[in-house]
Amino acid sequence: MSRPAAFTSPVGRFADSLLARDLPALDDARRAEVVDFIERRTGSLPSVTKLGVVIISRAVDLIRRVGGTERMLDVATGLSLPLLSEYPRLVRSLGYTFVWETWPHTTPDGGQP
Amino acid sequence: MNTTGSTNTSTNPRPDPIRIDRHHDCDVLIIGSGAGGATTAATLAEAGHDVLVVEEGSWVPQGSVTPFSLEQMDRQYRSGGVTVALGLPSIAYTEGRCAGGGTEVNSGLYRRPPGDTLRRWRQEYGIVDFDDDAIGSICDEVESALSVQKVPGAQTAASDILRRGADALGWQYDESPRWMTYPEGGAATEGRRQSMTETYLPRAIAAGARVLTEHRLDHLVMHDNRALRAELTSTADGERPVTISFRDVIVCGGAIQTPAMLQRSGLRHRIGRTLAVHPTVKLAARFDSAVNTPGDVAVIQVKEFAPEISFGGSASHPGLVALALTDNWRDFGHAVTAWPELVIYYAAITSQGRGWVQAVPGFRDPVVTYRLTRRDRDLLGQGLARLALVMLEAGALEIYPSFRGAPLVRSRSDLAALSASFGATKASVMTVHLCSTAPMGEDRRRCATDSFGKVHDTENVYVNDAALLPDAPGVNPQASVMAIAIRNARRFADSKAG
Repeated sequence: MSRPAAFTSPVGRFADSLLARDLPALDDARRAEVVDFIERRTGSLPSVTKLGVVIISRAVDLIRRVGGTERMLDVATGLSLPLLSEYPRLVRSLGYTFVWETWPHTTPDGGQP
Repeated sequence: MNTTGSTNTSTNPRPDPIRIDRHHDCDVLIIGSGAGGATTAATLAEAGHDVLVVEEGSWVPQGSVTPFSLEQMDRQYRSGGVTVALGLPSIAYTEGRCAGGGTEVNSGLYRRPPGDTLRRWRQEYGIVDFDDDAIGSICDEVESALSVQKVPGAQTAASDILRRGADALGWQYDESPRWMTYPEGGAATEGRRQSMTETYLPRAIAAGARVLTEHRLDHLVMHDNRALRAELTSTADGERPVTISFRDVIVCGGAIQTPAMLQRSGLRHRIGRTLAVHPTVKLAARFDSAVNTPGDVAVIQVKEFAPEISFGGSASHPGLVALALTDNWRDFGHAVTAWPELVIYYAAITSQGRGWVQAVPGFRDPVVTYRLTRRDRDLLGQGLARLALVMLEAGALEIYPSFRGAPLVRSRSDLAALSASFGATKASVMTVHLCSTAPMGEDRRRCATDSFGKVHDTENVYVNDAALLPDAPGVNPQASVMAIAIRNARRFADSKAG
């Protein structure tokens, strides 16, 4: 479903998996471009926010290694804890904004019309 | 002429670079070049002071980036526009980080500070010589300098929708003027923004001020109650230390950066403790024809419940439409392909909550927190439901509120479900109006500075930006910021002349 090994950062691996599930028709090249954007943006977050994202992303990455990608996505997107649930929300917000600003005619599943 | 930087597409010729040195001297150092810093720089330079303006961001000429785009966020916003005040809910905010600050990137909507707000500030905070008429007179000057005006020609469909909905309900609304120039009879989309890089910064430079972009203030070196020098980092060509000596320093970095800079310099009294914002919640509304103007926002604001609740239009390019639908993508995502028929609107409230800005040793950026009160949360829910009603009355086919678990709204009968399911902690709460982190006034129990922005218990450190406003004014605050900054700068110039 996704290519987690292609991204070296926990944020990149998470974003790649999440987008692959949310937008299954988004082709690999586009998804890689989106993930690259998400990695850059999260890399320029304000210091303390960035630290929080690093900590959460590593914890989520640990879940992925132990329980697999699907299990990790279920846990991460099912979190209702304050602040923690902001992580998938942040990644989705950045990703979706990039997709539809860059390719405005993308279909809701990430495909090309 | 006098700044670092490159070419521009603006009608204002870009000044030549000044030499980038490891050390600079000036009489008055101004940190920040936004609504507070640029007006201060022009006022003082024209009064004959030797002014050096330091700006952390770059000089990005008007017209060189697409408004509200990701590229603009990369080049002109702090942290690419991804900044947040932590809380329940967290509140996303944006800060301009470029020459001209927020005036370069915001909607350019202009509202004078309300008279009753000015009187309340004067009484509650003990602000002396704070006369409504005098502030009004400065507003007249600002409006002339920025060509503040209403749209002479056709407005966007997004504006017409708000007008139509408010008319149907018999609710009050008006058009907010903007700092824009238009061709004769020009439409809303033909405006040219009269931001600080088009107005007050060129004036300051023409009067001899120097502008040093891409330099970040780390801290002021203090001895007793005097600031001796500023220690900065040049980001133009790697991270390089720079020092600046001055007689006086005026900090104008905005309501987040100003308190952080002062705290890093050891100044803490009432600084960063009373952040005030106008929280907003949003929805996307779909109509039966193309109504989306990606590069512009509505200028109509519905004021029936002002100042507690106001409604207006947000930037609505396709990426932002997708963002507005993200919280309920499974149910709302199908609408993204119809983005030309969608517009995003907001409900803004005056908040009784407050936040903190706290510099943390070892971290470059401050921690920002904000706490909404129960009344604020209720008001956000009421605002969103009433905004949805405006949309329905304007003919919206479907409404997509931006909070997790929101129902799709197609008729008045859906509004009860909207109200019942709303929770502020589930919403994407945002703000672009930040103020009050170094409030001015003679009441030392509440205020960080005196009535003219001089930091209490210092001899030569001033604040002159949105941080001074005692609270959020209930309207777009930049007119208040500019008028008060000019008032204070004139007082400063008079005191040095005398």
